[in-house]
Amino acid sequence: MRDGGSADRGKAWGWLAGLGLLCAALIALPHLLSYSQQEIAVFLVINVLLVVSYRLLTLTGEWSLGHVVIMGVGGYASALFTKALGVPVPLAMLLGAASAAATAFVLAFPLFRMKGFYFLIGSFAAGEVIRLLWKRFRVPFGGPKGLKLIPSFPDLEIGALTIDFFEPVNYYYLCLLVVSISVFILYRLERSRIGLTFHAVHWQDSLAESVGVSTWRYRTLAFVIASFFAGLSGALLAHYIGTVNPNRFDVGEMVFVLIWAIVGGTATIYGPILGVVVLTIINEVVLRQLGFDQMRPLFYGAILIASILFLPQGLESLVGKAREAWAGRGGGAGPEDQRFGAQ
Amino acid sequence: MLELLLQTSVNAIYAASYMALIAVGFVLIFGVMGVINFAHGELYMSGAYAVVYVYAENQLPFFLAVAAGLVFVGLLGLLMEWALFRPLRDNPLGGLIASIGFLLILQTLAVLGFGVRMEHIPPPTREMLNVFGIEGVVLSVQRLYVIVATVLLLGALWVFLRRSKFGVALRACAQDAEAAALQGISMNQAARIAMCIGAALAGIAGALTAPLVRTYPFMGHSVIVTAFIIIIVGGIGSLEGAVVAAVLYAMVHTFVTTFIDGVIADIVGLLLMLLVLVIRPTGLFGIKDRA
Amino acid sequence: MRSVPKYRDMSRRKFLGTTVAGVALAGVVAPNLAFGAAKTVKVGFLAPLTGEVAAWGLPGLYGCQIWAEQVNAAGGIKVGGDSYQVELVSYDNEYAPDKARTGATKLIREDGVKFIMMLGGDTWPAVQPIANRTGMLVSTLLPSDLSPDTKTLIAPCEVHPIYNVTGVQWLAENKPDLKTAVICAQDDALGRPSVATYLAAFEAENIEVVDTVFFDISATDFAPIMTGLLAKNPDILCLDTAYADYVHPLCEQAYQQGFKGQIISCTADFYEKIIEKTSKEFMEGFIFQFPDFDDPALNGPRINFTDPNGFYAEYNKRWPGEWGAVSWEYASILDLWRAGAEKAGSVEPTEVLPAMKAGGKGLHAFGEAEWWGKELFGIDNALVGDWPVVVIENGKAVIKEFKSIPAWWRKHGKLLVKHFDKMGEMYYQRG
Repeated sequence: MRDGGSADRGKAWGWLAGLGLLCAALIALPHLLSYSQQEIAVFLVINVLLVVSYRLLTLTGEWSLGHVVIMGVGGYASALFTKALGVPVPLAMLLGAASAAATAFVLAFPLFRMKGFYFLIGSFAAGEVIRLLWKRFRVPFGGPKGLKLIPSFPDLEIGALTIDFFEPVNYYYLCLLVVSISVFILYRLERSRIGLTFHAVHWQDSLAESVGVSTWRYRTLAFVIASFFAGLSGALLAHYIGTVNPNRFDVGEMVFVLIWAIVGGTATIYGPILGVVVLTIINEVVLRQLGFDQMRPLFYGAILIASILFLPQGLESLVGKAREAWAGRGGGAGPEDQRFGAQ
Repeated sequence: MLELLLQTSVNAIYAASYMALIAVGFVLIFGVMGVINFAHGELYMSGAYAVVYVYAENQLPFFLAVAAGLVFVGLLGLLMEWALFRPLRDNPLGGLIASIGFLLILQTLAVLGFGVRMEHIPPPTREMLNVFGIEGVVLSVQRLYVIVATVLLLGALWVFLRRSKFGVALRACAQDAEAAALQGISMNQAARIAMCIGAALAGIAGALTAPLVRTYPFMGHSVIVTAFIIIIVGGIGSLEGAVVAAVLYAMVHTFVTTFIDGVIADIVGLLLMLLVLVIRPTGLFGIKDRA
Repeated sequence: MRSVPKYRDMSRRKFLGTTVAGVALAGVVAPNLAFGAAKTVKVGFLAPLTGEVAAWGLPGLYGCQIWAEQVNAAGGIKVGGDSYQVELVSYDNEYAPDKARTGATKLIREDGVKFIMMLGGDTWPAVQPIANRTGMLVSTLLPSDLSPDTKTLIAPCEVHPIYNVTGVQWLAENKPDLKTAVICAQDDALGRPSVATYLAAFEAENIEVVDTVFFDISATDFAPIMTGLLAKNPDILCLDTAYADYVHPLCEQAYQQGFKGQIISCTADFYEKIIEKTSKEFMEGFIFQFPDFDDPALNGPRINFTDPNGFYAEYNKRWPGEWGAVSWEYASILDLWRAGAEKAGSVEPTEVLPAMKAGGKGLHAFGEAEWWGKELFGIDNALVGDWPVVVIENGKAVIKEFKSIPAWWRKHGKLLVKHFDKMGEMYYQRG
């Protein structure tokens, strides 16, 4: 603001150009990949939504171990809406996401009596109970084997052109669209008044209370919104692979989400995205191609430890540094940029 | 019927013993260092594999193998403290993440070194005891080892924490690290001791039970879930609470398993934890949240 | 004094190191190895190779590697006048559905495999739509994956758990005075249908089942389970399809708590280790369904598995202490597939499958068999015939008899359907 209008405008153009490049790259991407890499790209985009929604929850200072189960709630609910009630898939996906949000709202009552490590373990316990319910009640959840033959996203017919969403490329574009919109919503939300309050709840718990902010209400709000988008990611997954089962959403999967978020960093919205993208490429593409099938978890563990020790602010801090270096070279340092990074 | 009740109680005492060994170490580490050691189950696994290597493969005496497990896993604990938790002292979540990384490494090393299958460990003793002199109520000597070791080790730990200088320092750190530092108690030293003892307890639990349970690279998983339940019920950070909760949980789980079935027992265990969380979020013996 | 058998060949670890390096190398070099004249056909192996379920995949891959080496060394398979070298392509699906889908896509669209072997279970439903669209021939070890929705999924080797009826039948014929039984099983996709099968088999023989209990797959302490079971005073203790990880501690507990009756189980992998933990006398007469492959009965003319004794010896040489049911099953499926391809004169899935199923009969590892399963799975894609009843005698597993599953089915099929239905395991009841 201080630099005056022209500099701002220049920066806006720079942003826009960057965004345009990114879009072009994302759209071109699947055509540079092999078929199986396209599949990996689909799951990667879905996981981006999962981990970005997870970050929203962490803004309020709470780290959950139940986020993947919530994702599963979205997947199960969406699958059941289509299979049992015949709801069209796109609508069912939204209903699945809403079910996840509703589940989170109910869970908020016991869970937000706790904070810190109690919340961490409490959320784990709640998730385990949900998973046990899936295992126990074969109607409607299908028991330990879960649900299968979940309808896939319907073909889209535009004139003579039929878009088959079973094809990884097409589903990739669909997910990219849904996830981009979701991430944009989450981004706007964070910069809105509500988002600033989330930060306030995290950093100045008692202070926020003293100025009349109900921390319970805002924690719940963050939890419910995060769960909505986690549920959406679960629905996107369920209608693509056509099956959900309790094992798919166990604590082992949750650990990966935690890892992506931490390795990427959670100060910015692109931090977790960096984390999930880099680690997925290393694990699914590089290590597999090197033939290290059995040793992959070991490398994963080592990378995790190395990054937490030597890059405690996550991969995003590298971006910040790179940007500083760039700005230092070009002169006009942008104090605006610091607002995300510096927390 | 009386025999059945007695036998089930004997089973429960054994279950409580090894759960207490694991949970107390877990709580000790959390209490002093403020870190949830997710790799605790893998430390337990490492103790079991020490027995596989020393006793089953190299055919050295069982108790030598148990001692080796104790020392080896204690050293692993020191390594974790030095390499992971100390640099991440101000970052409790970082400690949790680093322990997950360590867990993956330990699991993979076990797979590469010993294969994915369960290990076969010949029983060091096949002797059986009739408890209370009743023929239908039996306890294997191998299980008795676990019970005796638990009583001795936890007793010794209790004395150590109450009576020795280090123990007092350790407890001081657990309650208030800053105040302890003001009194000249080194946080580093306290952390080292806590981590070494906590890990060694997990290690000896793994070593002693290795011939009794499924010993395989992923055996730590179910242990960590049980440990979670126990520390929630007992109250995070309370050693006494962990012991009481281990006994309570083992009783409930064992009796439900015998009289109904094992799956229901797991559900009841989780519900017990949720109940405690909702009614008394700091656990039965909980201190105030330190976060 | 305990006599400690040679525990494990220490060279195993060294061997593992070289294999990892070898696999890494093969990934780079393999494409150039396809030397001119000899044609190559690729077969996919899509199963868990890491993680908790790896024990159901990795040992099978080892067996397939031995199979492929032996077949290739003998000139490969002869299809339509050509010789094909068989190249195995494996993909670790970590027992996760999404990775299974990725793996299936890679195997089919990038590697061009003509046949995929899977463990099945959790991972199958994610591959199912791909198989339906591409017509890829896929095999599973778990027939509960079969359904009329997919015509190209076959269960050609182990029709678990149906063969368990043979053990119970043999038991009733040979020990008719045993009248009551208890069953315990892990609560999962293997345990439940197996319980239904044992319930039907016991009912067919008028043996009363006085207790059935489930435990979670994460269970570690089996004393309370056994205490509860033995309190019912059963003649027969049935361990269902418990994994080796459970069979061992369950037997140990039964021994320690003084059980003296009959034990019947689906598997008894590494039974010599159970004997070590209990006693030879205790394990005498233990009935199960998986023979050692050094059993002389497997050299008979009925057997359709290339040189079982030699395979067993080679496997034990390479992977000491790793032999189990899974070790030979995938290799046996390869044998059946090979026969199908040679008969069809083609390696294309669309031609191999009809050749395999021609006339509704096929050659199963344990003898002639028929394609069956319509009543239970909605499709005749399970190959059933005779199955061995194995009994431990004097510390060694011995095949006592090959018993016919179809014959049992014709007599008692209704019971099986009844109990499958009760357990919610019929194909039309699955989620």
